Amino acid sequence: MKRRARTAAGTVRAERLAPYVLVAPAVLIIVALRLWPLALGVNFSFTGDGEFNGTFVGPGNYLELAGDPLFHLSLRNVGLLVLLLPLAVAIPGLLATFIYLRVPGHRVYRSVYFFPAVLSPVIVGAIFNLMLGYEGPLNSALAAIGAGPVDWLGDPGIAMFTVVGVHIWATFGMALVVFLAGFSTLDASLLDAARVDGASLRRTIWHVIIPSLTRTIQFVFVTTMIGMLTSMFGLLFVMTSGGPEGSTYLPEYYIWHQQGQMNRPALASAASTVLFVVMLVVGLLQITLLRRAGRQD
Amino acid sequence: MKHRALWSALMVAALAVAGCGSATRTGSPSGDSQRKLVVWDWKSGEPAAAAYVEKAKADFAQRHPGVTVEFVAQPYDQYYTLLGTASQSDKAPDVMLFNGGGQIRDRAGTLLPLDRYVAEDRSRLAGWEAFSEDGKVYAAPVTLQGHPIYYNKTLYEAAGLDPADPPKTWNEFVSGCAAIKKTTGAACFALGNKEGFGIQFFLSGLGSGILTPREYDDWIAGKRDWTSPHVRRIFELWKDAGDKGLNNRGANSTAMFTDIFTVFETGKAAHIIGLMSDIGHWKDFGEFLPPEKIGVMRAPVVTDGATPSLPYDGGIGYAVAKGTKDPALAADLVRALTSTDALTAFYAEAGAITSDTTIDVSRAGPAATAIASEIRTGRPALHVALSSKTLDLMGRLSQQLLSGSATVDEAVEQLAASDRTG
Repeated sequence: MKRRARTAAGTVRAERLAPYVLVAPAVLIIVALRLWPLALGVNFSFTGDGEFNGTFVGPGNYLELAGDPLFHLSLRNVGLLVLLLPLAVAIPGLLATFIYLRVPGHRVYRSVYFFPAVLSPVIVGAIFNLMLGYEGPLNSALAAIGAGPVDWLGDPGIAMFTVVGVHIWATFGMALVVFLAGFSTLDASLLDAARVDGASLRRTIWHVIIPSLTRTIQFVFVTTMIGMLTSMFGLLFVMTSGGPEGSTYLPEYYIWHQQGQMNRPALASAASTVLFVVMLVVGLLQITLLRRAGRQD
Repeated sequence: MKHRALWSALMVAALAVAGCGSATRTGSPSGDSQRKLVVWDWKSGEPAAAAYVEKAKADFAQRHPGVTVEFVAQPYDQYYTLLGTASQSDKAPDVMLFNGGGQIRDRAGTLLPLDRYVAEDRSRLAGWEAFSEDGKVYAAPVTLQGHPIYYNKTLYEAAGLDPADPPKTWNEFVSGCAAIKKTTGAACFALGNKEGFGIQFFLSGLGSGILTPREYDDWIAGKRDWTSPHVRRIFELWKDAGDKGLNNRGANSTAMFTDIFTVFETGKAAHIIGLMSDIGHWKDFGEFLPPEKIGVMRAPVVTDGATPSLPYDGGIGYAVAKGTKDPALAADLVRALTSTDALTAFYAEAGAITSDTTIDVSRAGPAATAIASEIRTGRPALHVALSSKTLDLMGRLSQQLLSGSATVDEAVEQLAASDRTG
């Protein structure tokens, strides 16, 4: 009787422990390879550079960031990316709609649109460097129709939009595929009904397609935002080097520049920590958004 | 539920950021044995440098049989990032290549002073200043890097100018440019300022014709008077050159490396403030322009009393890490890498003006000869004396000056402030 009780108690304890043991490897890997280095990085951001290497300087690096117009500019550019997000989502959405509605040649477009997505940012950047050069083919074409040359990559008011434009061109194929997948779940009878009622294309999109694709659109918003915030580095590196006048700096580029070019690893760590906080806020917003979308169903 | 959301958000953000450049110290000592030296550079992988590396290796092997030397060629784009990370984690190589100026001065604390090892080479090699900090030498120069003003003799002839007698004053220079523009349509300067490097070349290439000799020496010695009208004049001329159309169009979006060199080589611009070694120099241009049509001129005189001279410094040089196990052995490798035999191979194959003043370059054509003859009277380049932070700022300000979004006064004021804080 006693023995059976002890075994039962043992089983209960083992059952209680089992989940912890089972998740331990994953947790340990994340703690050792992600969280611990992250903590080291944050810790490192409170030390100095150069002759102060390794000494505690308090919030010195953060104060320097707060006073650095270049870092402000890089954060403002993050804001600009967020503002341009609807455009980056609308373009693949609209093109996917045309393909779904079977415009002439839609089969060709489907593969052509996806093509840039397989090119590396470095190659895309190099191609557009040639295309958008001051003496390049695009300006020659503009000159042929009598429009003045535009310094696409040399004008601080234009360069960021140029790079974002190229980024959208290079990546919208992926979002397009997601949209097409979303369309396959669309109830065709709704569209037929709209057509029978004589709805125009614009009204069909606004009242039938967009409401039916809410979840897809939200998903594309989230992934496009992540793409814009984390994978513009290659394009910036090749196309503008952060210039002209620092107008195309993003936090990532700023971090790389301070660490590698200016030999300020601790300052770069501080900037990384700030970027981390920004990403945390963005991550929270995205999770709230996705949860709300989930609740709707 | 709330908690879970917070944690997942933390995870997302942590995953996104953990990879972003926050270097940390781990404090494990370098694991190289005395029998092996590791060299980092960005040169040894190039075919043009093969003969040089072979010569240096053979020379070193003769003196130290049994010691292996491993050359690790790193990509230049990432070189200082990799080096910074390696020395942060005490994994730095024994011997490493450096550019002269800011890059090595910023890292002097991690390097071994070489004065006692290279005493014999001091007079044979030129360009030591660029590798020195507080009176100590941290690397032995391999090449010299400087900014001669190259000009296209064919364009001079077409415009009716005498290619053997290039302009000596700024006014002559500008009127010559006007003649060239009128007859050939070519711009005066080939200027690439996409990376913000154009201003560095401009400052150093033309500075000796603008500052008085006294101001020049003070500038190099660190006593820079940013309120001097001559210093202001440099940035005024930079802006003027842009405003008056002396530069090729789209200078702020044309890359210095290497788009702008093509503009000069194809005769679209008459002058370029180029380099002496590695790239953008007499040998590079010689592939497209006939070598006898490439001229080298002194900086045109802007200020009365200025004495134009060739601006140059040590270009690249090999340094030894402070933490290397056998400093004398590593320093000996540096000496092998700067021997006359090795450097002769480097000059001939790679097209560089090497630090060794005893090498005869007359076979390389008139431009190289003209440059070599100026080495003796040449002085350190102005921009090399500035910190990398000030140079970075100057790059952005120079773009603002060209686009008109900053005035000369604002630019000089900001540069003065940056220069004061180092």
